[in-house]
Amino acid sequence: MRFAAVALALTAASSACMGQGAPEFSGQVRPQWFDQQANAAGPLAQATGLQPGIAPLPASYGAVETELRATGHGLGFIGTLQQQRREGDRLRSHAWVNELYGSHEAAAWQFSAGKKIVGWDVGYAFRPNDVVEQEVRRTLLSVTPEGRPLLMAEHFDASTAWSFVLVNPTKPRGQIGADEPALAARVYQRDGSVDWHGFARVGAHTGPSIGAALAWVASESVELHASLRLLAHADTLVSDASGATLARTNPWTPARTGNAAQALAGATWTNEAQLSLLAEAWWDGSALSDAQWDDWNARNRGLAALIGSPAPMAAVAGNLAWQASAFNASTNLRRANLFARLSWQFEKWQPAVDVLLTPADRGRVVTGSLGWQGDRVRVDAGLRLYGGPAEALLAQVPARRIGYVAATWSF
Amino acid sequence: MKKLTLFAGLALASLTVCAQDVPALLKAADKYRMSSDNMQVETQISVFNADGTPDKERRYTVFAQQKHQSLVDGGNQHQSLVLMQSPAEKGQKVLMLGDDFWLLMPGSQRPLRITPMQKLLGDASTGDIATMSWAEDYAGTVTGEDRCGEPEQACLHLSLSATRKGVTYQRIELWLGKAKHEPVKADLYVQSDKLAKQARFVMDKPAAPTAVTAMLLRDQLTNKKETQVRYLARKERTVPEAWLNPMFLARSPALE
Repeated sequence: MRFAAVALALTAASSACMGQGAPEFSGQVRPQWFDQQANAAGPLAQATGLQPGIAPLPASYGAVETELRATGHGLGFIGTLQQQRREGDRLRSHAWVNELYGSHEAAAWQFSAGKKIVGWDVGYAFRPNDVVEQEVRRTLLSVTPEGRPLLMAEHFDASTAWSFVLVNPTKPRGQIGADEPALAARVYQRDGSVDWHGFARVGAHTGPSIGAALAWVASESVELHASLRLLAHADTLVSDASGATLARTNPWTPARTGNAAQALAGATWTNEAQLSLLAEAWWDGSALSDAQWDDWNARNRGLAALIGSPAPMAAVAGNLAWQASAFNASTNLRRANLFARLSWQFEKWQPAVDVLLTPADRGRVVTGSLGWQGDRVRVDAGLRLYGGPAEALLAQVPARRIGYVAATWSF
Repeated sequence: MKKLTLFAGLALASLTVCAQDVPALLKAADKYRMSSDNMQVETQISVFNADGTPDKERRYTVFAQQKHQSLVDGGNQHQSLVLMQSPAEKGQKVLMLGDDFWLLMPGSQRPLRITPMQKLLGDASTGDIATMSWAEDYAGTVTGEDRCGEPEQACLHLSLSATRKGVTYQRIELWLGKAKHEPVKADLYVQSDKLAKQARFVMDKPAAPTAVTAMLLRDQLTNKKETQVRYLARKERTVPEAWLNPMFLARSPALE
């Protein structure tokens, strides 16, 4: 935030005199209700069964989010105020800045500084080359992500674009994930019905990665896309505990993977009746391996076997709760994933259903939704169900079911 | 002999109609919506239900640009940048470069390649809003003369087929005023040759038209809704080449 303010101040003076159009203001207010049912299976459920309150479980909540947007004179701002009340908790208010940046054009280059959303790559459910923003995918409601502090230089001509980004320049080198300081670059080339993208990134501690992506409109109704990233390292979590050994501290600690590849292939098909099908398959070599998950399941079984034994139950519960840390090891739980989404735009209505499958353990996430768009008001409602065989990861995540309803008023 | 003369006369008259220069007719008709190659047009869409009650309203800023290129490169190319201005769609942008289309949703800041079918989504498809000329995209014949319009007048009836695949309508039956070649009405057919919409054009001065002020589209495929496309303001404007780069969609162009 401090970086964004300083960068903004530096660019504001130079941008203000450019006369880049009158300021524009807009925004939205979104009351929403999320009904979450905690999972009765999995290590977290077992932990809280042994010792209630040892770890927070998914709880239902209501919230009102107010988003304000302003652009003009080379400046951009998006801010969000959220008031949220979880079941059994008091009303809490949070505010954050999604974007606050200044832009300036000089010598045919566009320069930006501040906090900004910079989204790259071509996929829907997974974007291996979204190396700057690293946006969370498959959210239940469309949300404006929180941008990253950055310095950016871009050059555009009719069919080529170059982008160079220094992201998180003031953050410590040890920061992980999307907070890691890094230098990233993208080149884009339009070639008729094909868009080509090339990517490169050097992270302060994850090192280099390179990537490429394409999107090809193959016919009137079919679009194909693919993305590949090769990386030296990725942030992950590893456990130094095995079997039913009781650990004194959380055995899941930050670590780096070795060389890994991430790849995605997908297609969309849309017909005249506005029915649309999206299908994607991807491999994420930075996710925990099948062998690591087998060990995880074995440890869960071992710890569960201690229930009722002379072992201290608080320690067993704590160790079971720590096992849930593995869900945060990487963007994807399993390395191989399949995704399909069927949606239909019928006048103001948009029903949709999607499913994510993990073939390694036959886990699944099924989401059904219905949207209605008026002139100023949009209403969304839906239901997401996690499931699969007992040892499937998606059958053991903290939430079993999430229902939601939201109304968005735009101004 | 008299019959033969009459037949020859009719044939000659018919040939005269058919031999009219269709490209020149279309260029003349285009001038009523696109008075210049490069324009900024403020457009308002009002959708009405079959019973006439208002359904929805949208505002758009359209930068319609003509890219001049050689015949070897496919001839001149339409380029349109559409900025959605209504509260419900604010921040959405669609870029059309000939047969290629991109969409940017607000918040994502990530331009997305879309197919021609995805461009059709919505009551007034983006194609209806962004396409304001026919001469570069259609070829055809003058099939005859009719009476059409309100008040009724002599019209030329043109049957047009698309010369490229990315246009919203693959076939158009178009009626132009015989005297001034202003567009009067059109039947618009999609890829499957179904009649999708019927269009009527409202002129600024019916007796001496200079510009189309509105286009009324009646949906024939699904809901029989009527969409009124009103051209609120037009001005000549050539935008920088960079604005028509799909990756530039993530930036905010100055509208003036």
